[in-house]
Amino acid sequence: MRAKGKGNSPAAMWRDGGRNVRLSMCLMGLGQLCYGQIGKGLLYLAVLALAAAYFVGRGFEDLIGLFTLGTQEANTWLGIEGDNSVIMLLMGLLAVAAAAFLGLCWSANVRDAYETQKRCERGGRPARFQEDFKALLDRKFYKTVLFLPILGVCVFHILPIVFMIAIAFTNYGGSIVPPKLVDWVGFDNFIQIATLSRFAPTFGRILLWNLVWAVVSTGLNYFAGLGLALLLNKDCVKGKAFWRAFPMLAYAVPGFITLLGFKFMFSYGGPINGIITGMGGRAVGFLDIDAKWIARAIGFAVNAWISVPSIMLLATGILANRDFSQMEAARIDGANAFQQFRHITLPFVLFSTTPVLISQFIGNFNNFGIFFFLRGGLYIDGYFLASDTDLLINWLYNLSINNNYYSIGATISLVIFLITSLLSLLIYTRSTSYREEDTFR
Amino acid sequence: MKNRKVAKAIDAVLTHLVLIAVCFVFLFPCLWLILASFSKSGSIYSFEGFFPSAYSLDTFRTLFTDTEMYNYPRWFGNTLFIAGMSCLIGSLLVILTAYTMSRFQFRGKKFLMKTTLVLGMFPSFMGMIAVYIIMTQFGLINRMCGLILIYSAGAPMGYLTQKGFFDTISASIDEAARMDGATNFQIFFKINLPLSMPIIVYTAISSFTFPWSDFILPKLLLKEKDLYTVAVGLMSLGDTEFARFAAGSVFIGVPIVILYFALSRFFVSGMAAGAVKG
Repeated sequence: MRAKGKGNSPAAMWRDGGRNVRLSMCLMGLGQLCYGQIGKGLLYLAVLALAAAYFVGRGFEDLIGLFTLGTQEANTWLGIEGDNSVIMLLMGLLAVAAAAFLGLCWSANVRDAYETQKRCERGGRPARFQEDFKALLDRKFYKTVLFLPILGVCVFHILPIVFMIAIAFTNYGGSIVPPKLVDWVGFDNFIQIATLSRFAPTFGRILLWNLVWAVVSTGLNYFAGLGLALLLNKDCVKGKAFWRAFPMLAYAVPGFITLLGFKFMFSYGGPINGIITGMGGRAVGFLDIDAKWIARAIGFAVNAWISVPSIMLLATGILANRDFSQMEAARIDGANAFQQFRHITLPFVLFSTTPVLISQFIGNFNNFGIFFFLRGGLYIDGYFLASDTDLLINWLYNLSINNNYYSIGATISLVIFLITSLLSLLIYTRSTSYREEDTFR
Repeated sequence: MKNRKVAKAIDAVLTHLVLIAVCFVFLFPCLWLILASFSKSGSIYSFEGFFPSAYSLDTFRTLFTDTEMYNYPRWFGNTLFIAGMSCLIGSLLVILTAYTMSRFQFRGKKFLMKTTLVLGMFPSFMGMIAVYIIMTQFGLINRMCGLILIYSAGAPMGYLTQKGFFDTISASIDEAARMDGATNFQIFFKINLPLSMPIIVYTAISSFTFPWSDFILPKLLLKEKDLYTVAVGLMSLGDTEFARFAAGSVFIGVPIVILYFALSRFFVSGMAAGAVKG
């Protein structure tokens, strides 16, 4: 089942390859035809013809458009239908993808011809069309299966990400939206958010708060969840399933219901204010415009309410796999409960949950829901289109979806990606689970 | 000896006190929401403290009959359709991907695995602007199938948990079947699939609940009121509609909660497997 190893470099194949392999290199499918594999050869030729038609028809234009992003601005007075830069960008990227796909087909075609040659040298004969087809259900089953998922991920994950990265280097957004022409601006957007502009101060403040938020809430949730699991794991606790059911309840309620519910709870007309006014106090604006730290604290609490149960469930599962003989030995040697926890349980749990910790950290860093629901749509003085509880991702949303600052938004998402990936790489490579175990089987 | 017994008893009492507090914290908001959904007046202002002063089923009745402003049955149908279809297609893709990644060695496999790891670091939300523009280009704005496409296409990214499960099924069964002349296609459908019921259930539930409770994508892509999902619809409710919100939430929340409890076994083991494998 193992694919043919290395040593199949194009140069090597050209050297070792016979006439047919070289023919395949020159024209896709030709080598197959010469081997008498009519069906396959025609298929390759058909792909080539389609690709050629596409590139002649519009592909080359799209590729050029990727660089110019349009040259003719629309003018309704003169009746000129101008170029739409954004669509040109998208189509240009698609053309690049098409070219890459063609390259892949071409290399597959050469490799196929080469394999056929090897097979003939060993005294076999070229595979017939049905045999190739059958191989897709057997030896090459993985190709059949992975085709759709990879296509889907390419179109709906990679294309948007590449598109977004491209936009970060243009001036798309603000007043410059089609029909106006968009242009490449290099690193201008990065310079804008880092230095003097209306974006810079807001970016600094939000980034700082975002880091504080991610670290504190991850730590809080993690240790609260672990503590809860340890508590439930105690011998004196009977009916563990009963106690566990309550956090499970919180885990099972869909997140937006929880968040909207808490928003109602802390609103002016909500029950908490109802009790305060009932006791003769004045209603408190828990999530109001001047409630900076109160709102942040509520954010931490609500996030804990949502995330602690899942960590507890996870930790419970991991604690069950502990090596109990080690604990026993430590106890006999006179270690107290805290020492056992500090030196045996904690390292073990940390080891097993490093990936979870990382994904929790990233999840919290980009926790869109919490403040979107609790304080969505609030703009505060001193912040450009954001509030003092907004995380970068909320700001990104405000900027790009609500206010059309697309290129700045894309730049911020790149910055977010850089921060999260660097941090998680750092945590990951320093963690024990990376050093002692290869993650991929 | 006696001291230790006392210490143990104190410890037990303290533990239970903390547990009771924790349970109260988790239970109270849920209880509040459930009771509010049965309030008679429907307005949060008539509550005495946290709880309604009188109870009835009226809110549920208006939820389903008074559909002019807020068409809850319609939202519910939309959500069910989107989540159901995404679950069907998504699970199939995830299971197949995970199985392949677990059983086959091929060129570019490590590359694929690393790519998915890196792609996972882009929060799905970040490409949203781009997704929005792309969907406009494809003409899939305000179309439910656009949402289904995105959900199902994104599903294979989370294949690691399922791969962890398939890794535990012994490959020797496969070998035996191959000796008997079974193809890989047959090995998957006739041997491994029947053995993987737990993980299939887990996959199906988790790929159902995500679209069921997602709000970002539908909010972005479905602009027409008739196409709202429950999440978007409930978000659009005004401040005065608290009881309606509570009733709507309880109605879609309760089935999910029951589902989770019934299948909690799978969830815990599935999550643990995913965690260890990373």
